[in-house]
Amino acid sequence: MGGAALARTRRGAPAGGGAVRTASSRYRWGSVAPVIVLVALFTLFPLAYAAWTSVRGVLLTQPGSTPFVGLDNYADVVRGSAFRGAAENSLLFTAVSVPLVTVLGLAVALLLNQHLPGVGALRVLVLLPWSIPLVSAGIMWRLLLHGNFGALNGALLQLGIIDHDVPWLSSPRLAMFSVIAAHLWREFPLPAVLFLAGLQTIPASVLDAARVDGAGTWQRFRFVILPLLKAPLLIVLVYETMISIAVFDLVYVLTGGGPGTATTLISWLAYVITFRFLNLGQGAALSFLISLAILALISLYIRIVRVEGERP
Amino acid sequence: MKSRRALRRALLAVAGFALAAFILAPFLWALSASLQTESALFKRPPDWIPRPFTVANYNYVLTGKVPAAYEQRGLLRSPITQEARLLPWGLQNSLLVALGVVTLNLVLGTLASYTFARERFRGGRLALLFVLGSRLLVPVAVAIPIYMILQRLGLLDTKLALVLVHGAFTLPFTIWVLTLFFQAIPREVEEAAMIDGCSRFSALRRVVLPLAAPGLAAVGSFSFLFSYNEFLFALLTTSTVRSKTIPVMISAISVNPDASYTLISVGIIMAIIAPIAVALVFRRYIVSGLISSLGERT
Repeated sequence: MGGAALARTRRGAPAGGGAVRTASSRYRWGSVAPVIVLVALFTLFPLAYAAWTSVRGVLLTQPGSTPFVGLDNYADVVRGSAFRGAAENSLLFTAVSVPLVTVLGLAVALLLNQHLPGVGALRVLVLLPWSIPLVSAGIMWRLLLHGNFGALNGALLQLGIIDHDVPWLSSPRLAMFSVIAAHLWREFPLPAVLFLAGLQTIPASVLDAARVDGAGTWQRFRFVILPLLKAPLLIVLVYETMISIAVFDLVYVLTGGGPGTATTLISWLAYVITFRFLNLGQGAALSFLISLAILALISLYIRIVRVEGERP
Repeated sequence: MKSRRALRRALLAVAGFALAAFILAPFLWALSASLQTESALFKRPPDWIPRPFTVANYNYVLTGKVPAAYEQRGLLRSPITQEARLLPWGLQNSLLVALGVVTLNLVLGTLASYTFARERFRGGRLALLFVLGSRLLVPVAVAIPIYMILQRLGLLDTKLALVLVHGAFTLPFTIWVLTLFFQAIPREVEEAAMIDGCSRFSALRRVVLPLAAPGLAAVGSFSFLFSYNEFLFALLTTSTVRSKTIPVMISAISVNPDASYTLISVGIIMAIIAPIAVALVFRRYIVSGLISSLGERT
């Protein structure tokens, strides 16, 4: 991972000879201070404030009263009627979308690594879903999946695959998978680009040697290519897990958490508690629980990948 | 053997077409929908190529000329169509904010990363870790406190507020990438310049920056795209056309049950042109920036 590279270069870069003046301490701090002030203002203070809020009863509907309630907000939010459903939804969403995004990204990378006419154009196209605002991606998918005039139903009817409109977004079961489909479309480019870069660093001679030794396509993939993609794989798993737990914009425009609570993911619930119910204390508590879950999952991945091979 | 290879090529070609269709279908349908009349959009089977082909929706957003197809329901539509007319201002706000964020990243990010890459100083490592670690925050958690800070500073509903918030959220990644880029530049290059009498700052400006240009292009693109696409903070801190960005505007139009889907499609197309242009023009730098953010030298 990057941290190792950074540490390595730091150690490997001794002060370069007596001729070089090191910059003055004023320059050093002057050059980093603006960034530190800006980042601290919008992260440290908000974080401390959110921590304070999470142990107080803060309801915008009852201004002027913020009693200390200890961990009650945490307990209440977990015991609340919506939490269980949202946690399950997020678990399902993450458990389906992270592997799908990873596998699709890897498959696309393998395809883009072939020498075929048109691959250059595909490499350009692949960045497009990733580059646009998430809300516009969500709205585009709503145009596709709309139950009454969506393009997907139109195409399926035209091809005779279905004989009546499918309620992609208004059936509780289908809505979740519609959100996952839109998320997949939006998220696969980044893994594809990272895996493709990894593939391009594998020397052809290594693959040729494996072929000479009698390794088939699958064996070459499993035992030569995959181990060499461990670094991007870890990054992709960590990043995509964070993204799928934090997914928000997409739900906002695609389903609004519905129908009912069918697509109420955990971060959407945090938004609803904070900004619709105006219960800032519980909202902050839930946000911290989400952060904890993300950190736990990340450390789990890092452990798994470390155990798999001696170096990530 | 030969036929197996032919089969393989055929399968790969099919996969390539499927991928292109998967990527492009949502874009093409939004484009097609934006060029249809509203009644045509509800037709079954749909006209994949708009028929009648009309630019009336764009015309309406840009000039205010009400499309003929709306006249019958004009009164009903007026609230939503008013909103659609603001899209050009939203686009302008988005571009100004994003360019502000790019500038902030290039100036402050470069200064700080160069110091982090080259200088060892007390607290420096801690400062770097702090800046990078701040990226782990869940935005919803800090949204309310950030709102309160902006309120205290009197910056609610301003573009400057968005520049600052987006700046704080993009700078960590910028510094991460640029620090690695600067470390990849041999010290000897600037040492030579400094022996020739350049100060630390002018060595940075005259020697190092030109060498780090690909990295600057990459972080510039990332911060543009992040800021242009950011939704939650833009949604919370903006309230009028003075600072509303285009994602906020199209999401508002799109969740309006009274919305005309043709106008929503116009909004989508207007919103995606700039980021697509950036992604295409800076693709090489974006890709190499992503890769070097993994810490691998390219």
